[in-house]
Order: sequence, then structure tokens, then C-alpha cells
Amino acid sequence: MEPIVEHSGGVIGASWLMIAFPLASAAILLLGGRRTNAWGHLLGVFAPVASFVVAVMCFLQPSGRYDVGLYDFIPGVAKVGLLIDPLSITFALLITGVGSLIHIYSIGYMAHDPERRRFFAYLNLFVAAMLLLVLADNYLVLFLGWEGVGLASYLLIGFWQFKPTAATAAKKAFVVNRVGDFGFLVGLFTIFATFGTFAFGPVFDNAAKASNGTLTAIGIMLLIGACGKSAQLPLQSWLLDAMEGPTPVSALIHAATMVTAGVYLVVRSGAAFFPEGATASLIVTIVGVATLLAGAIIGTAKDDIKKALAGSTMSQIGYMMLAAGLGPAGYAFAIAHLLTHGFFKADLFLGAGSVMHAMKDEVNMRRYGALRALMPVTFITFFIGYLAIIGFPLLSGYFTKDGIIETAMDSNAILGWLAVIGAGITGFYMSRVVFMTFFGSKRWADDVHPHESPSVMTWPLIILSIGSIFLGGYLILSNRLMVYLGPAVGLPEALPQFHPFSPTGLATLALVALGAAIAWVRYGSAEVPQVAPRGSFLTTFARRDLYGDALNEALLMRPGQWLTRLAVWFDNKGVDGVVNGLAAGIGGSSGRLRRIQTGFVRSYALSIFVGAAVLVGAWYVVGNL
Amino acid sequence: MTDTITAPTIEYLLLSPLLVVFGAAIVGVLVEAFAPRYLRAAFQVPLTLLSLVAAFALVIFVVVKDGVPNKAAAMGAVAADGPALFIWGTILLLAFVSVLLIGDDFVPSAVAVPGSVEEERAVSEGAAHTEVYPLVLFAVGGMLLFAASNDLLVMFVALEVMSLPLYMLCGLARRRRLLSQEAAMKYFLLGAFSSAFFLYGTALLYGYAGSIDLSKISTSLSSVGGQDSLLFIGAAVLGVGLFFKIGAVPFQMWKPDVYQGAPTPITALMASGTLVAAFGALLRVFWVALGNLEWDWSPVVWAVAILTMVVGAILAITQTDIKRMLAYSSIAHAGFILTAVVATAGAKQNSLALSGILFYLVAYGLTTVGAFGVVTMVRDPGGEAWHLSRWAGLGKRSPKLAMVLAFFLLAMAGIPLTSGFFAKYAVFSAAVSGGAVALVVVGVVASAIAAFFYVRVIVLMFFSDPAADGPSIVMPIATRGVVGFAALATVVLGVFPQPVLDLASKAAQSLFVR
Amino acid sequence: MTTHYLVLSALLFAIGGVGVLVRRNAIVVFMCVELMLNACNLAFVTFARQHGNLDGQVIAFFVMIVAAAEVVVGLAIIVTIFRTRRSASVDDANLLKY
Repeated sequence: MEPIVEHSGGVIGASWLMIAFPLASAAILLLGGRRTNAWGHLLGVFAPVASFVVAVMCFLQPSGRYDVGLYDFIPGVAKVGLLIDPLSITFALLITGVGSLIHIYSIGYMAHDPERRRFFAYLNLFVAAMLLLVLADNYLVLFLGWEGVGLASYLLIGFWQFKPTAATAAKKAFVVNRVGDFGFLVGLFTIFATFGTFAFGPVFDNAAKASNGTLTAIGIMLLIGACGKSAQLPLQSWLLDAMEGPTPVSALIHAATMVTAGVYLVVRSGAAFFPEGATASLIVTIVGVATLLAGAIIGTAKDDIKKALAGSTMSQIGYMMLAAGLGPAGYAFAIAHLLTHGFFKADLFLGAGSVMHAMKDEVNMRRYGALRALMPVTFITFFIGYLAIIGFPLLSGYFTKDGIIETAMDSNAILGWLAVIGAGITGFYMSRVVFMTFFGSKRWADDVHPHESPSVMTWPLIILSIGSIFLGGYLILSNRLMVYLGPAVGLPEALPQFHPFSPTGLATLALVALGAAIAWVRYGSAEVPQVAPRGSFLTTFARRDLYGDALNEALLMRPGQWLTRLAVWFDNKGVDGVVNGLAAGIGGSSGRLRRIQTGFVRSYALSIFVGAAVLVGAWYVVGNL
Repeated sequence: MTDTITAPTIEYLLLSPLLVVFGAAIVGVLVEAFAPRYLRAAFQVPLTLLSLVAAFALVIFVVVKDGVPNKAAAMGAVAADGPALFIWGTILLLAFVSVLLIGDDFVPSAVAVPGSVEEERAVSEGAAHTEVYPLVLFAVGGMLLFAASNDLLVMFVALEVMSLPLYMLCGLARRRRLLSQEAAMKYFLLGAFSSAFFLYGTALLYGYAGSIDLSKISTSLSSVGGQDSLLFIGAAVLGVGLFFKIGAVPFQMWKPDVYQGAPTPITALMASGTLVAAFGALLRVFWVALGNLEWDWSPVVWAVAILTMVVGAILAITQTDIKRMLAYSSIAHAGFILTAVVATAGAKQNSLALSGILFYLVAYGLTTVGAFGVVTMVRDPGGEAWHLSRWAGLGKRSPKLAMVLAFFLLAMAGIPLTSGFFAKYAVFSAAVSGGAVALVVVGVVASAIAAFFYVRVIVLMFFSDPAADGPSIVMPIATRGVVGFAALATVVLGVFPQPVLDLASKAAQSLFVR
Repeated sequence: MTTHYLVLSALLFAIGGVGVLVRRNAIVVFMCVELMLNACNLAFVTFARQHGNLDGQVIAFFVMIVAAAEVVVGLAIIVTIFRTRRSASVDDANLLKY
């Protein structure tokens, strides 16, 4: 890893513009109110595009790790600054690039929404916060961005707040994220207590001097934060409900960018708190594998197209987490998969949005079918995204997922095989989505007239699908991304070689093909019932999100309620006595003391006179001590 | 030997901000005397605003031209040093925004008995009370001089020049005349009473040191040793006058009554400008003249600071009138600033504490002007709606206004990302580094109590249902500008405090001129 | 022998102060404040003699001017409040409290 150097001026010095554009746009749109309705969406699109241009210009500068100090926030304690290094640039490019496409798509998708301006304001706010998160040069500012994306996510999930489900989902996302944030905060405090600073540079440099226990504790706390934000077990339950938000939100925030913040956090802190073989890293890999399987299983049973994709998102982020726990050998694959996933999952979500747009916002796949002829562009782009995610040879997902599986296999065979099984399930559930939506017979109602979406929506799909085809190969072949990221996250001792036909790779492909075949038999060639059959115990298990909510309810909510009741009881009996007594005491003394203010000017004069006498006396006493 | 009188040297450039303000005030009086009634407002408003802007520009010009000066100008009568210039700039800024708040709050004819024929005639003639403007200018000039006076006589004269117009201004409210006049009388009697104490303290210190020059008092303290009843009584009695002006307990009684009764723009000016000026003078007396006596006065100021913070915060809790509540909050804030006044353990700490105080004064001044600006906007048929019950549900009727006020209140409570947080942080950290840890503990507890009543107003505005016949919102463009500016300043100083902190620490670097 | 003058000054000051506390008529209260100012003047002049410099005497003139200005303002305020309330008693002005 390269040391971080101070930098000012030049293009890098102007990198704060990346955050400033969308932030200013959000402020204008929110403060401007209805006046900006007419052109609000155009400004909203301009901002991320402008940020993208800045990001590209930063990318084209000589590679290095630059710390751009902006100003002292609390002198001597916290500075506000940006860290421009290969890792943060990579993220910035993803956020602004994919973000811009999704903004453009939203012009069409939200065209009929009376609140479109507000929607763009929130999206801009999200982009600004997300950029702050990845560009921060210290944990405190990172946390600011972290909370900022949480806020934007909350606002956008609940964007259609007139739907009770959306309002509830927003609240759920917020509450579950608070649990994660609490962990993050404790980690933050521990970091400050241990190192006396929040800045990445000094923290990473001095990490070796801290005790092992402290480092593990910080690592676990940060991981809890990451689990909340990235919907990893056990804090995964909010993501499926978050699909209540408008589809572009699901694509941008709950697939491509925000949910990868946890991966970013782990990779960014990797050198200090998640070194290869450490306890914290092991936990990261376990969380990753568990989530990738859980997400995949949930994905198999969902009839709601967005929820099926959400399960898939969980699962794919599980892959990234797994890789992030494997040290420098895994980082590049984690980030590479994150980037390609950003493309193909955004592609899939926007495709799903396009389908919903055509189907009067119907989300149940059992009411789709045979759409491939009516929506050719959507079908082709969706199909490319599908091939990419299942790891069809030579498409993006093939390279990046295979890299993760190979690395995991090298590190621990159990992890590796579980990841392979996950890939097989991916083949099944993604094929199921495609077959149910685009193949088979038409199952929609008579008053629905599917049509292709306008070009403002299809062009982003086309661009994203092109990325889904080529990006993976570009990043992985000749280890381009790994070498590029090396200065920021470190390099493994030996650079991995890409084997097109390794045994693991072949096994993976075989399982994926098997999964796809099963899906074809059940959902492609066979008639799909319009009402979901009851299914086996396992199906129900998957449909109910592996009983995640029930588990939360049984394990956390009910005991929580009991605990609350107990606490309330204790509070009423014990604490309230003290607190209320204190409050009543203060209030009472206030009520009594204010009577001294009689309103008579002479009594005020008396107070001055006596005060003067006391002052003289006190001074006299002190002076003669 | 022939005694010739040598003409004193006057540094006109250094004193130009003062001269501009006083000059404009005198011109304003002439306008009142000679200009026809219908033209006066057209003269007075631009004249007042322009003179304040010009004075502000001159402050900047002085610093830009020769750097931060550090000398006693006008034969040692007026100190022109970093803190003085910073305070001048602050007062001029606060006065400017306070003047913008002046709308139709003033009575058309002060001599007329409320409800009488004369008053009706004055109203129907469309008479406007334009002498408000020169009075404000005189008061501002007095504030400038008060914070920069380098001897006790100038300080006394400045105190009176500042206070006399304010006494008048307090009594000129158009609505609720009885309250306004009562406030004026109480302020006047108590102010005169306390300035008599100030003067007696001056006399005793003169008797002790043979001079009223702050630096000469300081030198005679170090040579004589400082064990003298003249000195103790003099210093304590002098302190009464200063503590009265900042509203420290037990000399705070006037503040709630006067703040409530005075026309709200004047309350804003007093709560911001007067407080700033009074702290400038207080620091000068305690740090320059009595600097060598620190071991004696610091326990006394400790006690006063604790009392002020606690009493201010506790009494604010049960207030039902928003202006009165803000007055008590102002008392508590004076206590918070006092914590940094005692933090004097060496030149470095002094400069740290001084810069913290300067920052606090700017931040608090702007926030408080903004808050009073909001108060002027919420109107009942009979005038501003002061009673808190009238503010219930304001968040639903006028969400933007309520949010801005909520923001000001949070800033006063010292929530991070507002200017109030850094202000409190600055004074408390200075107090800690000066060894006053216990004081800071009390300060934090008082802040917690204070947060209660700030948040209570926010809860009232947002979580209760608006009354059917709730107050109407009047938003003159100037007031809106003031409130917007104050809100912006509160945000900027909360997120990006560095430039102003730097400015304050630069101003505080060389401390006061001796 | 300046001590006597100082004691007299202190006495005058105290009388003035107590007068402010006990008298009800605003005019009288105000006159008591003036008495306190004059006590200060006496102290100034005495100290000027004691120290042998003229500062104290000059200050006394300044104080007189300031006191005169204060009278103008003070009487104006008291007269307006008298016209409104028909009373010059400071105890009647008691609306602002608590």
C-alpha cells in the first residue's frame, strides 16, 4: 500500500465539486419548491452527469493516494477532507456513472408523477451523500455520508408515502439500519479512543500498535454497521420491503450503490481491521456465505419480480462480502463483482421497471408471461443482464464471480463449495424470473396493454447491458483492476492467473446449467399457475424470507417488548421517580424562583444593592485570604 | 517656563468607524429638526443603513491597510486593537440586521397618551417615528466606544451614550404601550442605578491608582501589591455596573422585563449588540486593568458564572412568553460566556479564551437576532403573538418559519452542525484548558436544562394542533431577509466555522492593548 | 484630611442607594440616583486633591454633563408614563413580572 500524501490544487483539489454539484442541486430543488417543477428533473440529471465528468477527470490524473484537506471541522479533532485514491475513484465512477443513467431513466419512469421534482431532489441528495461516504478521508465524515445515504434511502423508500406499505417499509429500513449504525458508532468511538483520530492515514499506520482484541472489536463493530447497510445476515430483513420504493430507487440505491457501502467499508478498513486470517475477517466471510445462500433461497420463491431481484442482490453482496473477508487476494474480486453487479443488477432492475411500467405497475410475475415479443429492447437487455448474473461464459459475471469462488476455494474448501452451490441456485432463480416474465403464455388481464418503454428509458438499459457484457472481462483479464487498486488496498503475494476451464469453474457452470434446466422444466415449458400453489415446506420457508421476520419477531421483538415492558415498569417505579423528581424539582424551583421576579422595580434595585454588597464582601474575603 | 498646550494627536483613520456612526447620528438629528415630516423616513433609513455599512467597510479597510492595529488611539482614550475591531465589526453587523427588522413597531407620537385624540391624529396623518433611527445610531456608537474604551471615564461616557437612547427606544412600542413604557422606566431607573455603581467604582479605583487609565491601574496594581480596601471595593462596585449590562445574576432582574416590553427590533439590538459591547468592556476591565488581581476576582466571577447559568436556565423553563423565554436564555448564555472569562492561566490560554468568546458573540448574536426576527413575524390582531400557547401548531400553519425558528433554538441549545455548538465548544474548551473544569460541568448541566425549554417550543410548534383562530404570519421582505441571513449564518458557522474561528483567533492573538 | 470627604461621599452614596430602595415616586427615586452620582463626584474631586492631579476634577465635569443628559431622558420617560397612568409611583408599574 502506498502512503497517503497531502494534496491541493489542480483537478484533484477540485474533487469536492463532485459532491457539491448534486448537493447544490438537491438544495435548489428542495428550497425552490414548485417554482422548479418545470425544469427540476433536468437540473437533477445535470448534477450527477457533472459529477461524473469530474470523476473521470480525477481518474485520468496520475494514480496515487491524495488527501485533499477541505477544512478543520473541530480544530485538532476532526477535519473534513477527501481521500482520492484508486478505490474511491472507482466507487465515484460507479456511483456517478450508473447514477447518471438511472437519473436519465427516471425522467421517463417518473414522468407522470406530480412529485417528480422532489424525487430528483432526493436522488441528488443520495448521490451527494454516497459520494461523501466513499470520498471521505476519515471515519467521521464517512459516517456523515453513511447517515446521509440512510436518510435518502428512507425518504425514497417512503416516496409514495400514501401507500401504508411504503411508509412501513421506510420505517423498517430506518430502524434496522439504526441497529447497524449503532454498531458503527461504537466502532467509531473505539477508533477514536484507541487512535485519537478519525483520519484513515494515521489509523491505518498505527493499527499494528493496537492490541489484537481492540482491533477485532473494532472490526466486528464496523461489520455490524456494514451488515445493516448492505443487508447482510442478520440485518437483512429491510431490503426486501425496501422494494416498495420507485424502481429507479431500487436500482440505484438498493442494488447498485448504497447497499455496497458495507463492502466498501470492509475493503477500506481491510488493512487495519480485517487482515487476512484474523477473527474479524473470518466472521466477514461467514456472514458473506450465509447471506449469499439465504438471499439465493429467498430469490427462488418470490413471485414479486422486484423481491426476487432483491433476494438476488442480497446474495450477490454476500459474494462480495465473502471476497472482502479474504484479504488482498479477494479485494479486487469483491470490487470487480461490485462494479459488474452495479451494471447488471441496475440493468435488471430498470428492465423490471420497464416491464412494470408496461404492465400498469403489476409486480407479480405470475401475471406476466410472453413479453419478449412485445418489449424487444427490454427483453434483450434483461436477458443480457440475466446471462451476466448467472455467470454465462465471457460475460461480466462469469469473470468476477468465478474469481470470488476460486479465491474462496483457495482459502477454505467449505466456503468455496457453498459459494458454488449458491451460484447453482442463482442459475435457477434468475432463469425462473426470465421464463416467467418473458416466455410461456400470456397471463395478464385484458385491460393491460404491454408496450415498449420510451427511448429515454431504453437507452440507459442498452448502455447498462453493454457494460454487463464487457466490463467483467476488462477488469479481470490481466488483473487490470487488481493492479490499479493495489496502491490503495494492497496486492496479494502472487497475482492470480485466470484459468478458463478450472475444475471449480466447470463445476459452477454445470450447477448453473442444472439450475436453469430445472427452471425451464418448471416455469418455461410448463404452464405457470396464476395463483401460487401452496408448495412444500421449503417453498414456504423461502417465501417467508426464511422466516427472517418471524425470527426477528421471536428473537428480538418479543423479548424486546418484554424488556421494554420491564424497563417501563422499572422506569415507572424507579427511574421515573428520580428523573421526574429531578424534573419536578427543577420545574418547581423554577416556579418558585420566578416569584422573586416580582415586577417591582424597587425589588430589582434591592437585588442589585444586595448583590453589590455580597460582591464587595466576597471580594474582600477572597482578597484578604 | 511657558506652558503651551500641545494639540492632542488623534488617529482619525483608526477611529473612523466611530466617527462615521456618530456623525450620521448627528445628521439624523438635523434631519429630524429641519426636514419635513413626509421626507424624514426617506432620509433616515438609507442614512442609517449606509452609515453602518460604511463603518463596517472602514473597519475592514483599517485591518486590510495596516494589518491588525495594536495601539491606544486618541491619546490613550480609545483602544484600537484586534478584539476591539472584531467587536466593532460584529456590533455593526448585528446593528445592521436589527435596523432592518424595524418596521411598523414604533409609536407615531411618543408623547400622546395611548388611545387619545392626539394619537389618533398622529396615526391618521401617517406620522412615523423616524427619530428611532438616530437614536439607534447613537446607541450603536456608544456600543462601539464602550467595547473599545481604554480608560474608565470614556467607558462611563460610552456606557451612558449607549444606554440613554436605548432607554428611550424601549418605550416607543406602537402596541402594548403600557408594557413598553414600564420596560423603559424600569430599564432607565435600574440602568441609572447601576451606572452610579460603575461610577463609584471608577472613583475608588482612581483614588487607589491615581489614574483612570486601564493600563496605569494595572501597573499600579503590580507595584503596590493589591492589598487595599479601596481597590477591593472599587473593583467590586465597578463590576456591578458591568455585570448589570451583561445581565449576570444577581443583576439580571431587568432583562426579562425589558426584553419583553421593548419593541422587538430593539430587543434584538439589545440582546445582540449590547451584550457584545458589554462583554468587550467587561473583558477589558477584568483582563487589562485588573489582570494582576486575577487570583482575587476569579473565584467571584466563578460564582457569578455558575449562578447566571443555572438561574437563567432554570427560570426559562416555566416561561410562557417567548420574548421572556429568550431573555432568560440570553442570561444563561451570558453565563456560558463568563466561563471563558475566568479561563486565564497565561497569555496563550487568554488568547484561546478570547477568540472563543469573540466567536460566541458573533454566533449567538446572529442567532438571537434571527429568533427575534421570527417573533416579529407572528402576529395577533393586537400585535405580536408573544404567548407560547399562540405558537402551538405553527409547524403546520407555516412550516418554513417554524423550521427556521426550531433551527435557531437548536443552535442556542448547542446542537452540532449549528453555530451554537462551536460557540459552546470554544468557550468550554477554553475554560477547561484554563482549569475551570467544574465550571464547565455546571455549564453542561445548565445546557441540558436549557435544551429542555428550547425543545419544548419546538415540540409545541410541531406536535400540537394549531388553534382555529391562530396568529397570522406577516413577512415583510426585510425581515425575511434578516431571518434568512441569520439562518444561513447559523448553518455556515456550524458546518464551516473555520474562517470565522481563524478571524477571531487572529483578532485575539495580541490580546488587548495595554 | 481627605478621609472625611471620602466618608461623606460614601454616606451620600449609601443614602442615595437606600433612597432608591425605599422611595416610591419615580422622580424622587431618580433624584436619589443623582445623589449617588454627586457622591461619586465628591469622591473624584477629593482623590484629585489627594493625588495632586487634575484628572478627578475634569471627570467631575464630565459626570455632571452625563447626569444632565440622563435627567433629560429620565424625565421624558417618567412624564410619558405619568401621562398614561396618572401616577408616578414606581410600584404601580407592575405588569411585567415573573
